[in-house]
Amino acid sequence: MSPIRQIVAVALALALGLGVQAGLAASLNLASQALTPYRTCVLTATPATMTSIIDSSVRQGSATSNFGTQTTNNIASGSGANRRLYIRFDLTQCSPSIPSSATVRLATMRIYVTVLPAACRTVDIFQVTASWTEAGITWNNQPFGTAINNPPSASASDTFAIGTPAGCQNLTSNAYIVGAIVTSDVAAFVAGTATNNGWMLRDDVEGSATVYTQTYSAKNLGTVGQAPQLVITYVTVP
Amino acid sequence: MVRPRSAILVAVLLAAGGSAAFAASLAMNGQSMGMAAIGTPRCTAAGLGVIQNLSAATVISVTVSSLPSGCGNATLQVTVNNLLTSSSGSATVPSGGGSVTVTLATAVAITAAEQIDLVLTGP
Repeated sequence: MSPIRQIVAVALALALGLGVQAGLAASLNLASQALTPYRTCVLTATPATMTSIIDSSVRQGSATSNFGTQTTNNIASGSGANRRLYIRFDLTQCSPSIPSSATVRLATMRIYVTVLPAACRTVDIFQVTASWTEAGITWNNQPFGTAINNPPSASASDTFAIGTPAGCQNLTSNAYIVGAIVTSDVAAFVAGTATNNGWMLRDDVEGSATVYTQTYSAKNLGTVGQAPQLVITYVTVP
Repeated sequence: MVRPRSAILVAVLLAAGGSAAFAASLAMNGQSMGMAAIGTPRCTAAGLGVIQNLSAATVISVTVSSLPSGCGNATLQVTVNNLLTSSSGSATVPSGGGSVTVTLATAVAITAAEQIDLVLTGP
């Protein structure tokens, strides 16, 4: 082959080779775009004896009593008969552990309701800012104090509606409620910018003239299919 | 007959053209290729709802909801791991998104914590 043809051949080979590489790069690009990895940690409050997930109701009408061993929890509004639900999930139970750099996409609290109020009631979910224990918490010593309708509804992390009337968000008994989203709270726990003391759930308007009571299955019921859960979906690559 | 100077010019132009095309590809794709490691473009970055469906005290399937239409026809692979056993399954996301239930090959016992890995491939 003449030197000229050799030069042309080398040039063509270079151009073709680079074109193949470009095509390969494009293929790699398509492949990388196609993957969407998520990881979910599901924390389930079972068995009943576990200590990493705790729940208890506090009752205004039995202000010094502890109900941490009960098989049901209540949220209620009524004059002198308000009840609140405290619950905490230990995120360190997730294995592998959730990296502090993870992005929490969705965190949902799932609690199983067995008795609905006769009216559609709004339940507020508040991030608890002080520690408490399952065996020690009472109405009188609860982290948020004994004043009703405190903390204010506006500071709730999220709300959901529950009751028997048609159109209410959660109107089916013996089912997990929907709509208890605690993503920002869990993100703060994971990132280490807030301490995980769990949540308190209360009726949005405590002290109503008519008593409205909701009943939920507690950890101590020991029934897996009704156990409180926290479902955390996150990504480690934003 | 092709003169040597012309031949060299042609060769240089061909190579330069190929390099330019390659460079253009790299510029366009390099970001995505790099992002495979640090932030891959995906069919969704939204929060997906994940619910374990139980039979007695075991997970037999997983329902994933809030899938956007952009994930329609993607393949969703789900792996449930309770640190003792793990099981997987896959299903195709409806074309309009929504929710899909993935049945596991074998049931996985509920423990205090399960890890569920979700991988959407495509569309």
